[in-house]
Amino acid sequence: MIDCPEAVRRMWSYLEQALAAEPLAEFEAHLDTCTRCCGELEFSRHLRELVATPEATTAIPPDVRSRIDRILMLDADRDAKVAR
Amino acid sequence: MGDGTRVATRASAAIVPMADSPSGQAVAEDRPFAAVAREHLDRLYGFCVRLAGNAADGEDLLQESLLRAMRAYPELREPDRAKGWLFAIATNVWRDQLRARGRRVQTTSLDGLDENGDNFSLFQTLAIEDPFPYSDELHLDFLRLFRDEDVQAVFGAINPVFRLPLILTVVHGFSCKEAAAVVGVPLGTLLSRLHRGRKQLERGLWEYAVVNGLVTEINEP
Repeated sequence: MIDCPEAVRRMWSYLEQALAAEPLAEFEAHLDTCTRCCGELEFSRHLRELVATPEATTAIPPDVRSRIDRILMLDADRDAKVAR
Repeated sequence: MGDGTRVATRASAAIVPMADSPSGQAVAEDRPFAAVAREHLDRLYGFCVRLAGNAADGEDLLQESLLRAMRAYPELREPDRAKGWLFAIATNVWRDQLRARGRRVQTTSLDGLDENGDNFSLFQTLAIEDPFPYSDELHLDFLRLFRDEDVQAVFGAINPVFRLPLILTVVHGFSCKEAAAVVGVPLGTLLSRLHRGRKQLERGLWEYAVVNGLVTEINEP
Protein backbone atom coordinates (compact mmCIF):
# COMPACT_ATOMS: atom_id res chain seq x y z
CA MET A 1 0.00 0.00 0.00
CA ILE A 2 1.43 3.37 -0.95
CA ASP A 3 1.08 6.54 1.14
CA CYS A 4 -0.15 9.99 0.08
CA PRO A 5 3.26 11.48 -0.84
CA GLU A 6 3.95 8.51 -3.10
CA ALA A 7 0.49 8.76 -4.62
CA VAL A 8 1.05 12.46 -5.33
CA ARG A 9 4.41 11.61 -6.89
CA ARG A 10 2.68 9.22 -9.31
CA MET A 11 -0.22 11.55 -10.07
CA TRP A 12 0.99 13.20 -13.28
CA SER A 13 2.41 9.94 -14.55
CA TYR A 14 -1.09 8.56 -14.01
CA LEU A 15 -2.65 11.45 -15.91
CA GLU A 16 -0.17 10.83 -18.73
CA GLN A 17 -1.10 7.12 -18.66
CA ALA A 18 2.53 6.29 -18.09
CA LEU A 19 2.29 4.09 -15.00
CA ALA A 20 3.17 0.42 -15.40
CA ALA A 21 0.67 -2.19 -14.26
CA GLU A 22 1.86 -2.64 -10.69
CA PRO A 23 2.37 1.06 -9.79
CA LEU A 24 -0.99 1.76 -11.44
CA ALA A 25 -2.76 -0.87 -9.35
CA GLU A 26 -1.15 0.49 -6.19
CA PHE A 27 -2.13 4.03 -7.11
CA GLU A 28 -5.74 3.12 -7.83
CA ALA A 29 -5.95 1.08 -4.61
CA HIS A 30 -4.79 4.17 -2.74
CA LEU A 31 -7.45 6.31 -4.41
CA ASP A 32 -10.11 3.84 -3.28
CA THR A 33 -9.32 4.71 0.32
CA CYS A 34 -8.16 8.34 0.19
CA THR A 35 -10.58 11.16 -0.56
CA ARG A 36 -7.79 13.73 -0.17
CA CYS A 37 -5.77 12.26 -3.03
CA CYS A 38 -8.94 11.92 -5.13
CA GLY A 39 -9.40 15.68 -4.65
CA GLU A 40 -5.80 16.41 -5.53
CA LEU A 41 -6.03 14.21 -8.61
CA GLU A 42 -9.05 16.18 -9.81
CA PHE A 43 -7.18 19.41 -9.10
CA SER A 44 -4.19 18.08 -11.03
CA ARG A 45 -6.42 17.44 -14.05
CA HIS A 46 -7.52 21.07 -14.02
CA LEU A 47 -3.97 22.29 -13.45
CA ARG A 48 -2.83 20.23 -16.41
CA GLU A 49 -5.57 21.74 -18.58
CA LEU A 50 -4.50 25.21 -17.51
CA VAL A 51 -1.04 24.59 -18.93
CA ALA A 52 -2.20 22.68 -22.00
CA THR A 53 -4.84 25.08 -23.22
CA PRO A 54 -2.99 28.04 -24.72
CA GLU A 55 -0.70 27.83 -27.65
CA ALA A 56 -0.50 24.12 -28.37
CA THR A 57 -0.38 25.37 -31.91
CA THR A 58 0.66 28.94 -32.38
CA ALA A 59 0.22 30.69 -35.66
CA ILE A 60 3.60 31.76 -36.98
CA PRO A 61 3.89 35.52 -37.55
CA PRO A 62 3.84 36.32 -41.30
CA ASP A 63 7.41 37.65 -41.38
CA VAL A 64 8.74 34.50 -39.71
CA ARG A 65 6.75 32.32 -42.07
CA SER A 66 8.26 34.17 -45.04
CA ARG A 67 11.74 33.56 -43.69
CA ILE A 68 10.97 29.87 -43.15
CA ASP A 69 9.47 29.58 -46.64
CA ARG A 70 12.70 30.90 -48.12
CA ILE A 71 14.65 28.25 -46.22
CA LEU A 72 12.32 25.50 -47.37
CA MET A 73 12.56 26.70 -50.95
CA LEU A 74 16.32 26.34 -50.75
CA ASP A 75 15.74 22.66 -50.09
CA ALA A 76 13.28 22.38 -52.96
CA ASP A 77 15.81 24.00 -55.29
CA ARG A 78 18.45 21.57 -54.16
CA ASP A 79 16.13 18.62 -54.78
CA ALA A 80 15.35 19.94 -58.27
CA LYS A 81 19.05 20.19 -59.10
CA VAL A 82 19.65 16.65 -57.87
CA ALA A 83 16.74 15.41 -60.01
CA ARG A 84 18.24 17.04 -63.10
CA MET B 1 7.37 7.09 -32.31
CA GLY B 2 7.56 3.89 -30.36
CA ASP B 3 9.73 1.14 -29.05
CA GLY B 4 11.88 1.02 -32.13
CA THR B 5 12.79 4.66 -31.95
CA ARG B 6 16.24 5.74 -30.94
CA VAL B 7 16.87 9.42 -30.83
CA ALA B 8 20.46 10.54 -30.99
CA THR B 9 21.08 12.82 -28.07
CA ARG B 10 23.86 14.80 -29.67
CA ALA B 11 22.89 17.58 -31.97
CA SER B 12 25.51 16.57 -34.47
CA ALA B 13 23.70 13.29 -34.96
CA ALA B 14 20.12 14.36 -34.46
CA ILE B 15 18.72 11.47 -36.39
CA VAL B 16 16.06 8.97 -35.54
CA PRO B 17 17.22 5.67 -36.96
CA MET B 18 14.58 2.99 -36.71
CA ALA B 19 15.83 -0.36 -35.49
CA ASP B 20 12.80 -2.08 -36.98
CA SER B 21 13.02 -0.42 -40.36
CA PRO B 22 12.28 -3.38 -42.65
CA SER B 23 14.67 -2.56 -45.43
CA GLY B 24 17.21 -0.52 -43.53
CA GLN B 25 17.10 1.91 -46.41
CA ALA B 26 16.35 5.60 -46.14
CA VAL B 27 12.81 6.30 -47.26
CA ALA B 28 12.61 9.98 -46.38
CA GLU B 29 13.29 10.97 -49.97
CA ASP B 30 9.82 9.71 -50.90
CA ARG B 31 8.43 12.95 -49.52
CA PRO B 32 10.11 16.35 -49.81
CA PHE B 33 11.45 17.79 -46.60
CA ALA B 34 9.52 21.00 -47.15
CA ALA B 35 6.22 19.11 -47.10
CA VAL B 36 7.13 17.32 -43.86
CA ALA B 37 8.33 20.54 -42.26
CA ARG B 38 5.21 22.49 -43.24
CA GLU B 39 2.99 19.80 -41.78
CA HIS B 40 4.52 20.31 -38.34
CA LEU B 41 5.56 23.94 -38.62
CA ASP B 42 2.99 25.58 -36.34
CA ARG B 43 3.50 23.06 -33.55
CA LEU B 44 7.26 23.22 -33.93
CA TYR B 45 7.13 27.00 -33.73
CA GLY B 46 5.04 26.87 -30.54
CA PHE B 47 7.48 24.34 -29.09
CA CYS B 48 10.51 26.49 -29.92
CA VAL B 49 8.98 29.63 -28.41
CA ARG B 50 8.05 27.81 -25.21
CA LEU B 51 11.42 26.12 -24.99
CA ALA B 52 13.42 29.28 -25.65
CA GLY B 53 11.23 31.33 -23.34
CA ASN B 54 10.49 34.17 -25.76
CA ALA B 55 9.43 34.74 -29.37
CA ALA B 56 12.72 36.15 -30.70
CA ASP B 57 14.87 33.29 -29.40
CA GLY B 58 12.14 30.84 -30.38
CA GLU B 59 12.25 32.04 -33.99
CA ASP B 60 16.02 31.65 -34.11
CA LEU B 61 15.68 28.19 -32.63
CA LEU B 62 13.06 27.24 -35.21
CA GLN B 63 15.19 28.46 -38.10
CA GLU B 64 18.34 26.68 -36.95
CA SER B 65 16.38 23.51 -36.22
CA LEU B 66 14.91 23.45 -39.71
CA LEU B 67 18.31 23.98 -41.30
CA ARG B 68 19.76 21.14 -39.29
CA ALA B 69 16.77 18.91 -40.00
CA MET B 70 17.05 19.66 -43.70
CA ARG B 71 20.64 18.43 -43.72
CA ALA B 72 19.79 15.28 -41.75
CA TYR B 73 16.54 14.50 -43.55
CA PRO B 74 17.97 11.96 -46.03
CA GLU B 75 18.92 9.82 -43.04
CA LEU B 76 15.42 9.78 -41.55
CA ARG B 77 14.15 6.26 -42.07
CA GLU B 78 10.49 6.74 -41.16
CA PRO B 79 9.00 10.07 -42.23
CA ASP B 80 5.76 9.09 -40.49
CA ARG B 81 7.57 9.76 -37.27
CA ALA B 82 8.93 13.08 -38.38
CA LYS B 83 7.19 15.05 -35.64
CA GLY B 84 9.24 13.47 -32.85
CA TRP B 85 12.35 13.66 -35.00
CA LEU B 86 11.88 17.39 -35.58
CA PHE B 87 11.20 18.03 -31.89
CA ALA B 88 14.32 16.05 -30.95
CA ILE B 89 16.43 18.13 -33.31
CA ALA B 90 14.98 21.35 -31.89
CA THR B 91 15.75 20.09 -28.40
CA ASN B 92 19.36 19.40 -29.35
CA VAL B 93 19.75 22.76 -31.09
CA TRP B 94 18.33 24.46 -28.00
CA ARG B 95 20.91 22.68 -25.81
CA ASP B 96 23.69 23.71 -28.15
CA GLN B 97 22.52 27.32 -28.16
CA LEU B 98 22.48 27.39 -24.37
CA ARG B 99 26.00 25.98 -24.29
CA ALA B 100 27.15 28.53 -26.85
CA ARG B 101 25.81 31.28 -24.63
CA GLY B 102 27.69 29.85 -21.70
CA ARG B 103 24.59 28.59 -19.96
CA ARG B 104 24.87 25.03 -18.84
CA VAL B 105 21.78 22.88 -18.87
CA GLN B 106 21.74 21.21 -15.52
CA THR B 107 20.62 17.61 -15.67
CA THR B 108 22.53 15.10 -13.62
CA SER B 109 22.85 17.08 -10.42
CA LEU B 110 19.20 18.08 -10.53
CA ASP B 111 18.03 14.54 -11.21
CA GLY B 112 20.19 13.37 -8.37
CA LEU B 113 18.40 15.48 -5.80
CA ASP B 114 15.98 13.90 -3.41
CA GLU B 115 12.71 13.60 -5.28
CA ASN B 116 10.92 14.75 -2.16
CA GLY B 117 13.14 17.80 -2.02
CA ASP B 118 10.29 19.96 -3.22
CA ASN B 119 7.39 19.09 -0.99
CA PHE B 120 5.32 22.13 -1.83
CA SER B 121 1.71 21.20 -2.50
CA LEU B 122 -0.51 23.83 -4.08
CA PHE B 123 -3.55 21.72 -3.30
CA GLN B 124 -2.67 21.63 0.38
CA THR B 125 -1.52 25.25 0.53
CA LEU B 126 -4.86 26.43 -0.84
CA ALA B 127 -6.71 24.34 1.72
CA ILE B 128 -4.62 25.78 4.55
CA GLU B 129 -4.45 29.40 3.40
CA ASP B 130 -8.07 29.37 2.20
CA PRO B 131 -7.79 32.58 0.14
CA PHE B 132 -11.47 32.42 -0.86
CA PRO B 133 -13.26 31.52 2.37
CA TYR B 134 -16.73 31.75 0.82
CA SER B 135 -15.91 29.69 -2.26
CA ASP B 136 -17.47 26.30 -2.90
CA GLU B 137 -14.78 25.63 -5.49
CA LEU B 138 -11.70 26.92 -3.74
CA HIS B 139 -9.12 25.14 -5.89
CA LEU B 140 -10.81 25.84 -9.19
CA ASP B 141 -11.39 29.46 -8.28
CA PHE B 142 -7.67 29.80 -7.70
CA LEU B 143 -6.85 28.45 -11.16
CA ARG B 144 -9.47 30.75 -12.70
CA LEU B 145 -7.45 33.75 -11.51
CA PHE B 146 -4.79 33.09 -14.13
CA ARG B 147 -4.94 34.57 -17.60
CA ASP B 148 -2.91 32.98 -20.39
CA GLU B 149 -0.10 35.50 -19.96
CA ASP B 150 0.06 34.77 -16.23
CA VAL B 151 0.39 31.05 -16.92
CA GLN B 152 3.07 31.73 -19.50
CA ALA B 153 5.02 33.87 -17.05
CA VAL B 154 4.96 31.15 -14.41
CA PHE B 155 5.65 28.42 -16.94
CA GLY B 156 8.61 30.30 -18.35
CA ALA B 157 10.21 30.51 -14.91
CA ILE B 158 10.32 26.73 -14.44
CA ASN B 159 13.79 25.24 -14.75
CA PRO B 160 14.08 24.34 -18.45
CA VAL B 161 15.14 20.78 -17.66
CA PHE B 162 11.80 20.23 -15.94
CA ARG B 163 9.83 22.47 -18.27
CA LEU B 164 10.78 20.44 -21.34
CA PRO B 165 8.86 17.25 -20.34
CA LEU B 166 5.82 19.37 -19.47
CA ILE B 167 5.89 21.03 -22.87
CA LEU B 168 6.27 17.75 -24.72
CA THR B 169 3.60 15.80 -22.85
CA VAL B 170 1.04 18.29 -21.62
CA VAL B 171 1.18 20.86 -24.40
CA HIS B 172 2.13 18.76 -27.42
CA GLY B 173 0.58 15.42 -26.57
CA PHE B 174 3.63 13.17 -26.72
CA SER B 175 3.36 10.05 -24.61
CA CYS B 176 5.93 9.89 -21.83
CA LYS B 177 7.79 7.20 -23.71
CA GLU B 178 7.90 9.36 -26.83
CA ALA B 179 8.95 12.39 -24.80
CA ALA B 180 11.75 10.38 -23.21
CA ALA B 181 13.00 9.51 -26.71
CA VAL B 182 12.85 13.15 -27.79
CA VAL B 183 14.80 14.30 -24.73
CA GLY B 184 17.14 11.32 -24.92
CA VAL B 185 16.67 10.06 -21.36
CA PRO B 186 15.22 6.86 -19.85
CA LEU B 187 11.48 6.83 -19.15
CA GLY B 188 12.03 6.88 -15.37
CA THR B 189 14.11 10.03 -15.65
CA LEU B 190 11.45 11.66 -17.79
CA LEU B 191 8.74 10.82 -15.26
CA SER B 192 10.84 12.15 -12.42
CA ARG B 193 11.45 15.41 -14.31
CA LEU B 194 7.75 15.66 -15.12
CA HIS B 195 6.94 15.44 -11.44
CA ARG B 196 9.57 18.02 -10.55
CA GLY B 197 8.28 20.34 -13.25
CA ARG B 198 4.79 20.04 -11.92
CA LYS B 199 6.01 20.87 -8.40
CA GLN B 200 7.81 23.96 -9.70
CA LEU B 201 4.66 24.92 -11.56
CA GLU B 202 2.57 24.61 -8.39
CA ARG B 203 4.98 26.68 -6.34
CA GLY B 204 5.31 29.21 -9.14
CA LEU B 205 1.56 29.69 -9.44
CA TRP B 206 1.16 30.26 -5.71
CA GLU B 207 4.08 32.69 -5.47
CA TYR B 208 2.91 34.55 -8.59
CA ALA B 209 -0.57 34.87 -7.11
CA VAL B 210 0.78 36.25 -3.84
CA VAL B 211 3.32 38.63 -5.41
CA ASN B 212 0.79 39.99 -7.90
CA GLY B 213 -1.96 40.37 -5.36
CA LEU B 214 -4.23 37.74 -6.89
CA VAL B 215 -4.62 36.31 -3.40
CA THR B 216 -3.79 37.59 0.01
CA GLU B 217 -1.62 35.22 1.94
CA ILE B 218 -3.11 34.67 5.36
CA ASN B 219 -0.60 34.22 8.13
CA GLU B 220 -2.20 33.19 11.36
CA PRO B 221 -0.41 34.50 14.46
